[in-house]
Formats: sequence, C-alpha cells, structure tokens
Amino acid sequence: MARTLTRRLIYGLIAVLGVAVLAFLAEFVIPGDPARALAPRAQSAAVLENIRVQLHLNQPLLVQFADYFANLFRGNLGTSYVQRQSVASLILPRLVYTGWLALAGVVAEVVIGGTLGILAALYPRVRAAVNSVNLTLLAMPEFVLGLLLLLIFGFRLHMAPVTGGAGPAQIVLPALTLGLIGAPWYAQIVADQMSDSLSSAYVRTAVAKGLTDRDILRRHVLRNVLSPALTMIGLDLGSYLSGVVTVEVVFGWPGIGLLAVQSLQNLDRPVVMATVIVGAVAVVVFNLIADLLRMYVDPRTKEEPA
Amino acid sequence: MTAEAASPAPGTAGPGAAGATAGARARRTGRWPPTLIAGSALLLFFVMIAIAAPLFGNPLHQDLLGGLTRTGLPLGISRAHPLGTDTLGRSELARLAYGIRTSLIVAIIANITSITVGATVGLLAGFFGGPLETILMRLTDVGLALPYTLAALVIAGLMTAGLTRVIVIITALFWAYPARLVYGEVLRLRHRGFVESGEAMGASGITVVRRHLAPHMFPLLVTYSPLNAASAVVFEATLSYLGAGINPPTASLGNMISDGQDALSYAPHLLLVPAAAILLITMSFLLIGEGLKARNPDLARVSWLGR
Repeated sequence: MARTLTRRLIYGLIAVLGVAVLAFLAEFVIPGDPARALAPRAQSAAVLENIRVQLHLNQPLLVQFADYFANLFRGNLGTSYVQRQSVASLILPRLVYTGWLALAGVVAEVVIGGTLGILAALYPRVRAAVNSVNLTLLAMPEFVLGLLLLLIFGFRLHMAPVTGGAGPAQIVLPALTLGLIGAPWYAQIVADQMSDSLSSAYVRTAVAKGLTDRDILRRHVLRNVLSPALTMIGLDLGSYLSGVVTVEVVFGWPGIGLLAVQSLQNLDRPVVMATVIVGAVAVVVFNLIADLLRMYVDPRTKEEPA
Repeated sequence: MTAEAASPAPGTAGPGAAGATAGARARRTGRWPPTLIAGSALLLFFVMIAIAAPLFGNPLHQDLLGGLTRTGLPLGISRAHPLGTDTLGRSELARLAYGIRTSLIVAIIANITSITVGATVGLLAGFFGGPLETILMRLTDVGLALPYTLAALVIAGLMTAGLTRVIVIITALFWAYPARLVYGEVLRLRHRGFVESGEAMGASGITVVRRHLAPHMFPLLVTYSPLNAASAVVFEATLSYLGAGINPPTASLGNMISDGQDALSYAPHLLLVPAAAILLITMSFLLIGEGLKARNPDLARVSWLGR
C-alpha cells in the first residue's frame, strides 16, 4: 500500500515535470517577441533591448531554462511580464474561481447523471429514453452546449445574465454546461452498477432476511455504486481544475483557463507555464485521491490495478 | 472535453453500451446492430454533402447588398438562401457544406495519424519491455496528464493556421490513449503461444511485432477509431472556435459557431445550423462505435479518450 503510494507519487511527479519541460520548450519556439508584445509602439531598439534585459530574455535558452526550474523547485513561479506581479498572487484568485466552477460542475453532473441512472435502473422502460439523452449529450461539444444554454436561458427566456462576471447568478449556466456534458458517464455507471446489484445474490439475501427496501438500497446497493462514481468524481475534479478553458471563454468566467488563454495571447510566458503546471498537478493529484478513496470504499480494489 | 487527461477508470465501459446479449446474437447471425446501421447511414449522408460541397455555392462569396437585410442584418431562410446568410451576406448553406468537409477530412486524417502513432508506441513498449518500455510509457503518462486545450493552444502558436496545424495538434494530443490501450493488449498477448513460437523460430523482434502482434490489435483499434474520430471532430471545432485551428474566411464548423456567437441576439440560426451539424456528425461516429462494441462484446471496455 505505502509502496504503491510512493510509486504513484513518483510517477506523478515525473509526469508533471515532463509537462513543464515540454511547455517551457514549446513556449520558446513560439514565434513572437514578448518584449515587442509589451511595448508594441516602442520605436527604439534600445527600449526593447532594455525590456529584454529586465526579463532576462537576452540570456541563452539553457540559462533561462536552468533559472526557471531552479526557481520552480524553490516554489517560486516567477513574475508576470504583463501584470508586473508575482505569478502566484495572480493565479491564486483565478484558481479559486475555477475551483468554485469545478465544484458546482461536479455537483451538477452527479445530480443529473445520478438521477438519470437511478431512473434507468429502476424503470426498464425509461432506459431507452435515458440512453438517447446520454448519446445526445455525449455528442455535444462543451462550447456548443454552453452557447445553446446561453441562447435559450439568457437571450430568449431572460433567466440568466448574458454578460460575463463571477457571481452566484453567473455560475449557474457554466456549471449546468459541465453538469450536462458529464452526466452521461455518471448515468451509465449508476445504471449498470445498480442493475447488477439489484439482481445480485446479496440483495436477494437481504430481501429474504426481511430488510426494508430503503435499507437494502442504502446499505447494499448504493455502496456498490459509490466506488466507481468516486473514481469518476476525482478524475473530473482534476481535469476541471486544470482549467475548463472553453466553458470559461464562452461565459467569461475569470478562472485559470481564461487566464491561460489571455496570457498565451500576450506571450506572458511565466503565467502560461504556471497555468500548465497547476493543471498537470491537479490532474495527477486528483487521480491519486480518487484511487485512494476507491480503495477505502471498496477494499477489493486494494491490489495494484493493471 | 470532460475527457481531458486522466487514466482510464478500470472496468468502466462507455455510456450507452448496448446490451451484450443482443450484440452476441447480432454477431452470430452476422447482422448489423441498429446503432451501427443508423450511424453508418448518418455518416454516409454527411460524406455525400462533403463530396458535393461545391454544388451548394461559394462559401467565400460576400454579398453585402443582396445577402443582408436593408438594415444590414443576416437573412433568414428563403428560397435563394435555404439556410439564410451570415453577417457578411455569405450563404450559410455553402459554408455549412464546406465546414462539414473540413470536419470529415480532419476526422479521417487525424484519426489515422493519432492511432498509428499510439499503436506503434504501445506495440514497441509492450513487446520489447526494458528501458524502451519505461521511456515510452512514462511519455504516455505525460501525454495523458497534459491539459489538452492549453497544450493545443501552445502548439497552435508554433504553426500557421490551417488543416495541417489542426491535424498535428490532434495527433500530438490523441496518441497517448490508444498507446495505453494497445500496450495493455500486448501485455495480455505477449506470452501467448503464437508470439513465443514466432520468436522460437528465430524471427526478429520487429517481425514478430509486425506479423504476429500488430494484426491482433486490429479489432481493438477499429472499435476505438470511431470514438477517436468523434473526439477529433469536437476538438477541431473547439480549436477553430478559440481561433487556434482553421482561420476565417475558410469555413469550419468551429469558426462558424464563433461567428454565430457574435450574432446570438439577432440571428440565432448562425449558431443553430453549425451546432446541429457538429452534433449529428459526432453522433454518427458514436453510434458506429456503439454498434461495433455490440458486435464484439469483448471490446465493450474500449471507451472514449480515457474515460
């Protein structure tokens, strides 16, 4: 168990480092001069040269690379070229907004998907309908669904704000978008696990023992549904925290994904690096948490999965 | 893209998987399951539109006088413009046909490239083992941990806009999951008789991989490819929507939707038309994927990009 954990942590660290190195190198190959992006109208070469010296852009790639990673290992993410403040202080509030959206999105998908799944498992006649809803939602790109919701609830029904921002009113549509896109996966898992469980020997035993329906559902059926659902929740939290770029762009939600897109356009390299690294860490950490939780809920999975 | 990154949850088949018994029956009788028929028919319809795209008019022709209302708004549905016009007075039908063409070209080419790269990595890592396995599979971990959209935007910065850029981005991001699928399959078959007897007869490693192992990957990859194609279509549209894929004025469903977003309050058909097209194309691929899984229940575990 402890060995598995250590190994997973080391693999995760390697993956994050790999992502960071790739991102660093890629940013260097991107054509475009950050100095010129900062001072677009600067006429004199001296001004541009001055900016380059300030940002250490005049040094060879290898030196910049070594500097960046030396700082990174000390926990220093650097300073934004554009905002002139530390990347950590810039990224933290954005991460909080993305965190709220991720949380609301996961709650929405669990509620919507769980309801669909339970309906499909308990009422076989509903199953075909649920399957077609699932297929439609699966085929729907995130940003298309976001825009459709915006069109219907914002522009037609005037029930939701159509301007960007970050408040309780503005989070509803992006969270609903994430919820609907993610729902089919939960619906499927819940429906499958519940039907398996309902026709299993242990449920038959529980019925014979004279347990009430509620007790059977709670103590025997739902526990078996919980374990794969927990894995899925972990995976989703990780991938949403790495920035729900398209949803944040569609709704103007000021999260880490929107920040990443803006920083890429400004060639603000330290900020782009930080968003990519934070994203990779989120994915790796939540994968691990999901697996640990599953081992806790369902001790049968303690052996190393292939 | 909830499918972003992450390792596959063990034992989770994709949603909508048809019942295994119906599938087993269809397989025995050689009949196609209904999902496979519906998906193929839908896809065929779009392929025909893509091939016949030039018949629907010029997607680049701007008609600022005849193609807009007197107040400068896009036209609605009419005989001259069956799907109306966009904000520049271009025929929405012509743009749609060319957008579908773009989507399908990306789906086909990017599908082949990403699966080829992934399968090669998986085969080599699984068969040869040792340091090669360690390097390739850790690289695959990196590929799966990449935040897809961000990574795509970074790569997009390296290249000029166009079809090639989209295909390169999708290949660079989509190879990792099939690599892991194939790797798992190779590990399963590695010590089977046909592989070991090939080696015992003195065939070189590459020959065993090529002649004996690779053909066994075929059913797996054929089942995976429509799901991969669906992801590719969605991703191309997302990239073009974010301005990192195919740039205007070339028609792509993604940049048509981006145009539609600006006109959301007064011309909703500019969103609805390309949105319906993309939804139906993706759905056709998903139906084909479900149909193939129903025909081959052993492969029901093959799921969409790691989910």
